[in-house]
Amino acid sequence: MSENNQREAVFPTRMALTNTKNRLKGAQTGHSLLAKKRDALMIRFRAILKKVEEAKLKMGKVMQVAAFSLAEVNYVAGDISYQVQESAKRPQLTVKAKQENVSGVTLPGFEIEREQSNEFSLTGLGRGGQKIQKCKETYAKAIETLVELASLQTAFMILDDVIRVTNRRVNAIEHVVLPKLENTIKYINSELDEMDREEFFRLKKIQSKKKKGGDSEQDTIDQGEYTQDQAGGADILDQGKDEDVIF
Amino acid sequence: MSVLGSEMLFFNVQNGYLEGIIRGYKAGLLTQSNYSNLQQCDNLEDLRMQLSATDYGNFLSNETLPLSTSTISQKSSQTLVDEFNYVKSNASEPLSTFLDYMTYSYMIDNVILLITGTLHERDTHELLDRCHPLGKFDAMSALCVATNVEELYQSVLVETPLAPYFRSCLSASDLDDLNIEIIRNSVYKAYLEDFYDFSQSLGDPTASIMAKLLSFEADRRSINITLNSFNTELTKEMRNSLYPQFGRLYPAGTYALARAEDFDQVRAACEFIPEYYHMFDGFSSNNTDSDHNNSLEDRFFAHDVLLNKETFLQQFNYAPFYSYFKLKEQEVRNIVWLSECIAQSAPQERRAVPTIF
Amino acid sequence: MATKRTLIAAIGDDDTITGLLLAGIGNVDEGSEKKQSNFYVHEQHAQLSVLEDHFRQFTQEREDIAILLINQHIAELIRPLVEKYTQPFPALLEIPSKEHPYDPEKDTILKRVQKLVGD
Repeated sequence: MSENNQREAVFPTRMALTNTKNRLKGAQTGHSLLAKKRDALMIRFRAILKKVEEAKLKMGKVMQVAAFSLAEVNYVAGDISYQVQESAKRPQLTVKAKQENVSGVTLPGFEIEREQSNEFSLTGLGRGGQKIQKCKETYAKAIETLVELASLQTAFMILDDVIRVTNRRVNAIEHVVLPKLENTIKYINSELDEMDREEFFRLKKIQSKKKKGGDSEQDTIDQGEYTQDQAGGADILDQGKDEDVIF
Repeated sequence: MSVLGSEMLFFNVQNGYLEGIIRGYKAGLLTQSNYSNLQQCDNLEDLRMQLSATDYGNFLSNETLPLSTSTISQKSSQTLVDEFNYVKSNASEPLSTFLDYMTYSYMIDNVILLITGTLHERDTHELLDRCHPLGKFDAMSALCVATNVEELYQSVLVETPLAPYFRSCLSASDLDDLNIEIIRNSVYKAYLEDFYDFSQSLGDPTASIMAKLLSFEADRRSINITLNSFNTELTKEMRNSLYPQFGRLYPAGTYALARAEDFDQVRAACEFIPEYYHMFDGFSSNNTDSDHNNSLEDRFFAHDVLLNKETFLQQFNYAPFYSYFKLKEQEVRNIVWLSECIAQSAPQERRAVPTIF
Repeated sequence: MATKRTLIAAIGDDDTITGLLLAGIGNVDEGSEKKQSNFYVHEQHAQLSVLEDHFRQFTQEREDIAILLINQHIAELIRPLVEKYTQPFPALLEIPSKEHPYDPEKDTILKRVQKLVGD
């Protein structure tokens, strides 16, 4: 990659330098802020990651217990599945979304809302009613775990996305924006230095030229010293003429 | 009715063969040692192997692996159904009617299932698969034609042997309004009462043994209905109307049950029958299921098994037919339960079942 | 954005659905013609396309579902569809069933988790 591709197209002026320096400073602050955000998110992310794994494994157990209690129901009350499936009408277990803020990222979570009504209270009236109620409780508990896991998982996915975006930004700043700005500054500086050197050299040249002229025509210089100093640049143009005059 | 002596004399003419078969079947029920073997199994393969050494034989041999508990459940109840059908096809009056009565309880469940389906406007043909095979009857598909509850009610009255039970306690409009469980229990109550009357008409010793078995069934229902109806919309009057009107708790016990408001009052209502009263031992009012293996329902099952076992002590009556199939049903439940436990690798101590022999 | 989403939907086998319904997640919309419910029982031999339709319906069309529970062995049947699904809402959760114990290896989400932890 050549130097030119990595700097911005600006005129190497002092003003551009100041601007670019300000931008560099901004980019650096931004970078450190984003990096901090990323770190915060990462900490959160790791924690959630661990929890997701734990909860997933816990879910396996919880669901097993629940399935077991359903087996108990089947033992006592026979097959109730059709009846249960048909009598479902209105949910008693619903979820409510809640939100949590981690470094400016809203993480959704679910909260379970349970309505205390006994929809299936008469199921298994003749036999198995108690087991059915127990099974119902077990499943309700299992669903709590599931909902918890679902919130974790959603948080996980959103965090994953956000972290990716943040990472991309951090990297972009670190590897593209910052070098570019630094290069620009370097470029401007070097151009300015170059100009300085040119200017300096020019002045030197003039001076030496003037000194040469002074040796041969000490008088004129002595006489015209004041006017020459005063007139400045105008004399440069006149130098040729001066020589003409000399001849 | 004949006197006891002649009963013994002529019983075998009609039913001797079948009673022999039944007692043979009974001898094939799983024993304590079978059960303890089954409890040790680590997977369903083991279970199948253990069962193949029993009367179940190769009932699972054609199943594709891996075995599922539902297959086991299906296949093992199929053996029950096969045995029942064999006995039934060889039975003559009055045993055949007696066996018919036994199928009615399954039939009630099936009809209730169809009613549920019809109420929710489902295609009831799909439900036929879910019906208990013992409760299937020829006119079943006719019931599926019904598109609304009114029609279904009419078909039930016309097509099924359950008509008297439905007619006696429900009208077509009730099917719409009442909770399906109340319908089920009212019909079941009517059925139990009718079965009781029928068994009493058969004379001793069938009458006395069946009285004992059905009384327990009735009492168990009464107690369960009471316990399960706490904190529900079921009113006390309604609850009272669901109690079968016979049994050892009737009338004084059911009267008390109808008024019971909590667990302790139920216990008090059963106080005068020691067998029942002892079942409540160790339970408090808010903890009816303290021990996993020993809930009230489990104790009922155990007592049921005990009563049914006693039936076999007497010969020359119809009760063993009832008892055997009840025991077999329990055994199927046990096997399914055990396979459930094994499939989910439940700890050994939870694998207890009311063993039969 | 998720305030409307309050229901827990489920796709699973008979037992799982029965249990979940018993706990009270069931919702049947009586108003609509088709009786939209928020659960679907996938019978063993039922058409895959029906399953896919339900999955799409629950994940894309319906606006009131917050969490979709699906039996892992059923998710396995439509794995490509499941893997393609990346939206945060509704949250997709694979759950074990009675006959198919939970296998973390197959879980789409957990696979991602492990990939992230791995590198």
